[in-house]
Amino acid sequence: MQTRPPNMILSLASVFMKIFLRDRQAIFFSLFFPIIFMLVFGLLNSDEAEPIKIGIANNSSSDISEQFIQMLSNNPLFAVNVGDEVTLRERLVEGDVTMVLVVPEFFEATESGSELTVLVDAAQVQQLGLVMPVLDQVLLGIERQLRNTQPMFSLTLVDVKARSQRYLDFLIPGLLAFTLMQVAIAGSGFNIVEYRRKGILKRLFVTPVRPRDFISGIVLSRMVLCLMQLSVLLAVAVLVLDVAIVGSYLSLFGVIILGCFIFLCLGFMLGSLAKTQQSIMALGNLVIFPQIFLSGVFYPVSSLPAFIQPIASVLPLTFVTNALRDIANDGVSMLGTGWDLLGIIVWLLIAFVAATRLFVWKEVAA
Amino acid sequence: MQNSDKDTPVAVVEAKNLVKTYPKPGSKTEFFNAVDGVSLQIEAGEVYGILGPNGAGKTTTLEMLEGLTDIDFGDAYINGLNVNTNPFEVKKIIGVQLQANEYFDNLSLQELLRLFGELYGRRIDALELLGRVNLTEKADAKPANLSGGQKQRFSIACALVNDPIVLFLDEPTTGLDPQAKRSLWNLVRELNSSGMTIVLTTHNMEEAETLCRRITIMDHGKVIASDTPAMLIQQHAPEPPERPRHGSLEDVFLALTGHGLRE
Repeated sequence: MQTRPPNMILSLASVFMKIFLRDRQAIFFSLFFPIIFMLVFGLLNSDEAEPIKIGIANNSSSDISEQFIQMLSNNPLFAVNVGDEVTLRERLVEGDVTMVLVVPEFFEATESGSELTVLVDAAQVQQLGLVMPVLDQVLLGIERQLRNTQPMFSLTLVDVKARSQRYLDFLIPGLLAFTLMQVAIAGSGFNIVEYRRKGILKRLFVTPVRPRDFISGIVLSRMVLCLMQLSVLLAVAVLVLDVAIVGSYLSLFGVIILGCFIFLCLGFMLGSLAKTQQSIMALGNLVIFPQIFLSGVFYPVSSLPAFIQPIASVLPLTFVTNALRDIANDGVSMLGTGWDLLGIIVWLLIAFVAATRLFVWKEVAA
Repeated sequence: MQNSDKDTPVAVVEAKNLVKTYPKPGSKTEFFNAVDGVSLQIEAGEVYGILGPNGAGKTTTLEMLEGLTDIDFGDAYINGLNVNTNPFEVKKIIGVQLQANEYFDNLSLQELLRLFGELYGRRIDALELLGRVNLTEKADAKPANLSGGQKQRFSIACALVNDPIVLFLDEPTTGLDPQAKRSLWNLVRELNSSGMTIVLTTHNMEEAETLCRRITIMDHGKVIASDTPAMLIQQHAPEPPERPRHGSLEDVFLALTGHGLRE
């Protein structure tokens, strides 16, 4: 066996750290876009959730219809516009209101019941799931009042969250995961291709450095750099945009480290497969792009079309995003993320095996 | 280290019947031997030149000796160590300068030299090493800001961090102006005078003639002549009628490898 100082990996890592930190431009751009994203969404969604605009065309003149409209107007979830059906239909088509309720001429408390018509624009029905139960609830309330019955069950809502959840709170963990993926894949894969092109890998290969020491050095330094970059993002989110991190930072960074490792390994894998700068760009985008849209970075996976959800839910970035979100939004511990943590570990093993199989010094250097 | 005196002279680099096969360009089924049975005996302390037109197999031969390219057939020994079975041990005792001489951006010359030292598990005196290749004043410069000659001298400095027994130089003076070329020759002589064995490839006949104790001329992957420059000139240079022997090594080279232009 070759004798080598135990600090070989550390000293290589510190040299790579120096190399990476001096690449100011790369560091700037790795942070620039996520921060812009955060600021834009932070400013756009600085208010509490906007009420849903609904139109009500009241064709009835009964007390009950008045009461119904009154109850809806009192609900903070809705901004109610009362008008005639024709105008409201036009406004619905223009997108001014999300839906129009048509109260029929005969809207009375009778045994046969009265039917409400809900007009919606298919382009903006995503809020329907939210609205319908509330409508039901309001109607039920009126019904009980009229029949003078007491509800058998009642709900008392106690908010245990320190504050209400904004879109930004939802977005930040996704953005952390997304940045982590980008930085890690670029950091390992793109570097490897660049070093090959310059003949640096070949030059290193004629020294007795072991591939695992070389890779460990890069991985370690990239990991530290990645943690620094994400810390900056977190600091902006928490200090500037007042985003709440409910769970512990220890759990958060635990997941970040594991996620970083997955994508560094995937980067090495891609860097070993790609022979040119163009092909690493193409391969990198092939891995990065679908995950941006499918992994729940900007919106939950559950809002994707059903047929794509099974695929989306097993992507590595999905596990990382979910785990970070559970920790940041719901205060779950790292171990408490359960299946997501398991998914992360499985991907970690896959990526590690693939990277070490494919990164053959002699072939990659040639 | 392991040199015994059973053989005289001592071969510090020994290649026996080396073969390297590559697929023909543009074909997956046809193959050719880029190196086709090359044997070399390079003695300790000599400057040895490998000459040949482009594509003759010089670089591939060097890369096989350095452990950079797999040896398909045959054996290579550096200081008695089998390159195939002991690549890591071999790498510790050789210094290599490749044709490509780019390095990590953002590191200065002395930082790069220290990095190379680390790769051999050594702490080195970067400034002293830069002094040996006459680059002391460039210690804090980046490789990108060096001239061609300075880059080559720096590459040699990188190859010296482990005090190698054998130094391999692949076309060290290609593309250099005459001053830079001569300065590099002086460096090679200095290194050699301290006992270092140096193996170089070159297209420059004057370089081979003045620097090398012995040379090998390769063509089409085969060795076609090996001897001292003087002997080669005596044997192969065309003899002009009724005049004292004249001619240069370039005449020998062209006579042996033909006048046809190579890629």
